[in-house]
Amino acid sequence: MMETTETIDQDKNISVQRTGEETRKLAFKNVLCTSCGLCEKICPVTAIEVEPAGATLEEQEASKIDIKEDKCVLCGMCACICPYNALEMEIDGKSVKDIEEYPKLLKSAEISEDVCVYCKACETACPRDAIVIARDLPERSKLVTGEIEIDKETCIDCGICEELCPADAITMEHKEPTADSPTVSSDIEVDKDKCVYCLICKKACPVDAITAACRQCSYGEYDLKAEDSEITGSTFIDEDLCVDCGWCEEICPVDAAKVEKAFEGTITVDQEKCQGCETCVMICPCNALSFPKSEESGGKPEKLHAEEKYCIFCGACEKACPNEAITVERTGIKSTPIKSKSWKTAFESVKGTSK
Amino acid sequence: MTDQSVTNTHGVPMPKHIISGLKYLAAVELRKNNFTQKEIAEKLEMDRSTVSHYLNGRNISWHSIEIAEIIRNFCPRDFSTLTYALLQDKKKTRTIVKICSNKMFKCMVKNTCIGCGVCADACITEAIVLDDLEAQINSDWCCGCMICMEICPTKSIEIKEVEDDGDYRNY
Amino acid sequence: MSIELVTYPELCHGCGNCVVTCPVNALRSPEVAGGKGPTDEVDLIMEVEDGSIELKRTELCGKCGACARSCPVSAIRLEKLEDAK
Repeated sequence: MMETTETIDQDKNISVQRTGEETRKLAFKNVLCTSCGLCEKICPVTAIEVEPAGATLEEQEASKIDIKEDKCVLCGMCACICPYNALEMEIDGKSVKDIEEYPKLLKSAEISEDVCVYCKACETACPRDAIVIARDLPERSKLVTGEIEIDKETCIDCGICEELCPADAITMEHKEPTADSPTVSSDIEVDKDKCVYCLICKKACPVDAITAACRQCSYGEYDLKAEDSEITGSTFIDEDLCVDCGWCEEICPVDAAKVEKAFEGTITVDQEKCQGCETCVMICPCNALSFPKSEESGGKPEKLHAEEKYCIFCGACEKACPNEAITVERTGIKSTPIKSKSWKTAFESVKGTSK
Repeated sequence: MTDQSVTNTHGVPMPKHIISGLKYLAAVELRKNNFTQKEIAEKLEMDRSTVSHYLNGRNISWHSIEIAEIIRNFCPRDFSTLTYALLQDKKKTRTIVKICSNKMFKCMVKNTCIGCGVCADACITEAIVLDDLEAQINSDWCCGCMICMEICPTKSIEIKEVEDDGDYRNY
Repeated sequence: MSIELVTYPELCHGCGNCVVTCPVNALRSPEVAGGKGPTDEVDLIMEVEDGSIELKRTELCGKCGACARSCPVSAIRLEKLEDAK
């Protein structure tokens, strides 16, 4: 009849497959797993065991989870609950994320290109390096307007303007003086693409060899075009890496990023139990945890700061803490409608706390 | 009956002869229910002439029929699984088993079903499909082998034998 | 789960980093949290005895790995038992 087979590749990725009336394939991607334990919680046949997160911070020989070949029935619940896209299931080559009957977590992260100013704060802040912002800067020369000229007859080749120029716009051709050409420089030029008409060179020149004026300062911006100062670019969020943590939305200075989270919940820390081992901070895939520094000398800040703004309530920290100092409670799960009663029950079982 | 169909040197029928015996029994059963030879041929995927021979007691050995009778009288599990092993085809198994057996079953799936599909894969008469993450079992097609019941990881399947209500169902 | 605490006594210098770093030990004994070996009877996961690390109440271990990270010579690790030694 049919047989379930499991293979593990050299990258510790797991593949479980069963071919019968349909071909079902469960694929686990080790690098995306955070050992949060949600798959282990939801599995209706206890086929999954998650290795301790603290151990998997170091390179291990084994995968972060263990799927028992003789127990797994490829129901797909783990693939539907995993918030990190570490588990995917296909039926006859089609992902269950594209099959209506299977509940899909409702979560998203989007950046509005109409509003985005390409400041790149989100790219820097993203804990999964899931965001790429590309930007085209305007040409400097189109943002300034003015005139500058160096009188080469008057110029004494002292090089003070070259040294002072903050835009590196002045270049001298330094040379050794020779009997037939007893000068220390053969030429001096101002690169008008770089010059910003700050007039520092004019002020510093000891022989007043430089005439220059900034038209903007004297007359306003009449000969600058607004469209020349526009910054254009593009945004890209890698959906496989994005965990919808909310960092981009929180840090965006112009509210261009919007994040919808799948889980609602709370996270609380028992500051007395916490002994500062830092395992949770290292494990958290959302950078939602940190050890705050004291504001003033001799001050006592909280030991562990948990910021719900960036938390997706996966419970990885709670599972990793050896002193049970963290409590994560999921109060809601947003997903596409679930018709099956047993699946509704399974999703409900993931709510609440582990305690 | 002519005894010309023993083909191996030890005088024991081969699997294909046992299959012939089962087809003979099925043909006889269908004839009792007023199926024409043409209809019987279609249903059992046989030549009409072969059907005619069988119904007149030709081209089939009594030994094959005897073995088929014994198999038909096995418990549903053994009858069905042996028929499937012989035919290697789920639809054909369903046809033979449901015609030759007078047992009927009522199959229910509880709402603890998780839609894993193991039962559908295991069912030897293709009586199970999945709909909205729940197994749906066609009780008329069920052969009573109970394999699905045993294999279900959430013990969500219940199968009972019920009285044959006499109406001839279409398989 | 087959990942367990494993010690390599031949590598151990007896510095006690692991004992003091262990958050389970620290919660049970403020003295140990402060960096000193316990003067009172207290259940610790591991202790230094005769200059080398000894595993004691390993069932209390939450497998956070803090001890392994604190050890300068990798004399204490979290490993799958088949891979150890």
